[in-house]
Amino acid sequence: MQKGEFKYTFQKRLGVITVIISLLVIIISLRFFYLQIFQYDFYKLKASNNSIRTIPIEPARGLIFDRNDKVIAANQLTYNLELNKKSQYDLDELARKLTPIVKITRDDINKYQKILANDPFLDTVAIKTDLTDEEVAAFTANRYLYDGIQLIIRQKRFYSYAQITSHLVGHIHRINKADIKTLQANNKYQRYFASRHMGKTGIESSYEDVIHGYPGYKQIEVNAKNEIIQTLVTVPPIDGSNINLTIDIELQKIAFNAFKNKKGALVAIDVNNGEILAYVSQPGFDPNFFIDGINKDAWSKLNNAKSKPLLDRVIRGLYPPGSTLKPFVALAALENDIRKPPFKINDPGYFTMPNGSKTFNDWKKGGHGIVDMAEAIKVSCDTFFYGLGLELGIKRINQSLEQYFFGRKTGIDMHNERSGLLADEAWKKNKFNKPWYGGETAITAIGQGFTQVTPLQLAYATALIANPKLDQKPHLLLYSEKKALYKNNQPPPPVNEKNIKLIQDAMTDVTQDGGTAAFLGKDIAYKIAAKTGTAQVFSLKGQEYDEENLPERLKDHALFIAYAPAEQPKIALAVIVENGGHGGSTAGPIAKQVFDYYIKLNNF
Amino acid sequence: MNIVKLFQEIDHYLFGLILIIITLGLFTLASSDQSGAALVVSQIINIIIGITLMFAVILMDPKKLFFFAPFLYIASLFLLLFVVFFGYESHGAQRWINLGFLKFQPSEVIKLTTPLMLAWHYAKNDGDITLKQHLLALLIITIPFCLIFIQPDLGTALMISFVGLVIIFVAGLPIKFISISFILFLLSSPFLWGILEPYQQKRIMTLFDPFSDALGSGYQTIQSMIALGSGGLIGKGWGNATQTYLDFLPESSTDFIFAVFSEEFGFLGVISALILYLLIFYRCMFMVTRMQDTFSRILSLGILMSLFFGLIINLGMISGILPIVGVPLPLFSYGGTSMVVSLISIGIIMTLYNNKTLIAN
Repeated sequence: MQKGEFKYTFQKRLGVITVIISLLVIIISLRFFYLQIFQYDFYKLKASNNSIRTIPIEPARGLIFDRNDKVIAANQLTYNLELNKKSQYDLDELARKLTPIVKITRDDINKYQKILANDPFLDTVAIKTDLTDEEVAAFTANRYLYDGIQLIIRQKRFYSYAQITSHLVGHIHRINKADIKTLQANNKYQRYFASRHMGKTGIESSYEDVIHGYPGYKQIEVNAKNEIIQTLVTVPPIDGSNINLTIDIELQKIAFNAFKNKKGALVAIDVNNGEILAYVSQPGFDPNFFIDGINKDAWSKLNNAKSKPLLDRVIRGLYPPGSTLKPFVALAALENDIRKPPFKINDPGYFTMPNGSKTFNDWKKGGHGIVDMAEAIKVSCDTFFYGLGLELGIKRINQSLEQYFFGRKTGIDMHNERSGLLADEAWKKNKFNKPWYGGETAITAIGQGFTQVTPLQLAYATALIANPKLDQKPHLLLYSEKKALYKNNQPPPPVNEKNIKLIQDAMTDVTQDGGTAAFLGKDIAYKIAAKTGTAQVFSLKGQEYDEENLPERLKDHALFIAYAPAEQPKIALAVIVENGGHGGSTAGPIAKQVFDYYIKLNNF
Repeated sequence: MNIVKLFQEIDHYLFGLILIIITLGLFTLASSDQSGAALVVSQIINIIIGITLMFAVILMDPKKLFFFAPFLYIASLFLLLFVVFFGYESHGAQRWINLGFLKFQPSEVIKLTTPLMLAWHYAKNDGDITLKQHLLALLIITIPFCLIFIQPDLGTALMISFVGLVIIFVAGLPIKFISISFILFLLSSPFLWGILEPYQQKRIMTLFDPFSDALGSGYQTIQSMIALGSGGLIGKGWGNATQTYLDFLPESSTDFIFAVFSEEFGFLGVISALILYLLIFYRCMFMVTRMQDTFSRILSLGILMSLFFGLIINLGMISGILPIVGVPLPLFSYGGTSMVVSLISIGIIMTLYNNKTLIAN
């Protein structure tokens, strides 16, 4: 290549280079334009996500008090050792390292792993909860040895009365993935992003909305090492409302303990306003174990126990009402103008169906002789009610019972209340595909048929007899901190005053001389109106019922409904003692302890 | 003294532009400096040394450059060799020589001495440039390329070869050879991919989807793009770059300093800076076209290419269109060797321009 030629090529190619460099700079500036102008919003968000963290603040859960401000569900401070969810830990090694200070058991590790597997949104999970003061001090002093383990103070729910209020107050549990789905479906998830627990059963569940509160949050700015630079915003949480229950915890204790080791249920209602004063389901369990997940063995022990401690018998236990149904069947007859006084029968001790197809015995051999309706209630005469039932018919019996909330929900402020059962032709056809027999109507009238009731239904119906003007649902909430008194109207069944008076008087006579619970009327300053009942658990198929020699679990259930004082009713209740044998003798004394306390307390 | 001469010899237009760019870089450094003002003070010292050496070059007889070219080239090759065996390791690569009182990067020096050697080579054979001369030129490029590649410093190695190839191109390599080489390069690219270190391959791959490995090799690219993008049109203002002061942006004073600038001053700031750089480029190009002799032209163009490939690779890297290869932004990034070499380079262009007739004769 010659000099002149070289110069020409050089200049030409210099031009090419100039153009290329200029183009490259233009491409670069277009790229900046795209990032800085077009995608500005995207990267602006990215930049703030980079450095701004939102820290949820859990609201304190509202406390639950009894009607006299005694704490039933409290919040206690506890110290936990917690591990960061995102990090990997060798748990056995960790347990070994912690042993001189805090003992980590296999149980703790299992619990930790269970929570880790199911927990949807925590950043730390506890490896050990409820540290003692000594453990806290030892850990704090040696903190430098335990990198990655955090000592965290949390509020922990504590049920001071444990078994005594287990079904009533219920318990909270750890929010799991299924809960999250439900919360999202109900648009409530926003309220739970800071929470680890929510109400699962009892009052904790039915008043969850009131007790839970609203979460707050803190926005902090962090650097690349996750160190806090500054707090940008703090929105404090709104704590849940404290609530007072209608329960009198002293009365609850007395009622609970009165069962001794017997199974059963007791509900006591203030007849003037539907407030539930005692709500007992025996046996109970310690709900404190359920808060962070009960271990498998303990759970299966509770769940498989024959005594069914997890069952809330008050609203979910279904029992044949036995003779406690008689006052309501009698009222049904009176309201339908059937068998009104001075109608009497002569009871020979048995009842034969008009067509002669079947004979039913009275509980008393040889019969009660001549009885009218009041006497029939007082002595619990079966023969009187067989005939009455047949004449009234299943349809009218059920209609009237339904008015007293049998066979349907009473509307108590608890979740999962059961309706019980009022059986009739259609039901039997549907269930067994068999016709309805007249005899079934006859035994329904004495409470032994297919009919099933909850203790709550019995107690509420009794309250409606004691006070026919009771116009409130049975309820447990007295008031909440931020809301007015509980008011939930439910009109009582319409009833003729004369008819109700007859039933009231007859029930009062039950505890007088000659009544089935006459022993309760002795040495007492006030009068109790009551009705005893016995519900067969086991069909003896013609054999004699011998209470002494029957195995415990096959013994009849004892039932007892009552209110007091008889002349000026204040409190009504229903007691069921499972396998308690005859109603008056086992269930009656339990009821009397409740009445004694309550009447004395209120000077009635 | 020489002050008067110096004042006359300096290209005022070019010198003014360079002072503006250096000042912008210094201001950005001040806002990203987490160590008080230590980096700023150190950078001011670098600039003073650089400008002093630039003045010295301007006052120097440019013929000395021609004379010393092969020695300087060979000396810098030895420095590179020294780095390979005794270099000071940092960030997983051996790039520094530590003399106790100062650390410097021979790979920055070679960016200057390779074009110098090539200019010497073509000038020596002026008027008789055949294919053989071009192949020899290729050899001059290949030796430093290999020495830098094994440091490993892919960015600088590629830059040296780009600069070298541009020089061969303007020196008149026939078009058919260019086409053949290009085809050969495409054919050998799978093999070239194979000799890259895994981390280098990963860097190139994450380029296509940086968010696929947001905490790993895509981290730097993402954080840099976030800094750019969140700057928007007018930026967050000086000292308000959250990406920087919260430490999300890595290497915010060296390779990624322009990301800080973009976050603080937005797209308007970026465009202004790019226009300043382009003005420098066009001014230098104008000076190159006025030069009369092969040595001056090739040396000046080579130096210019070193500076502007540095600019393009650095900006491409921080904006996520090129892999992260560790090339500083000339005249802007913190770093003594880069700053001093860049200023000397500008000085050389000025002196070659001033003496264009002298050298030609």
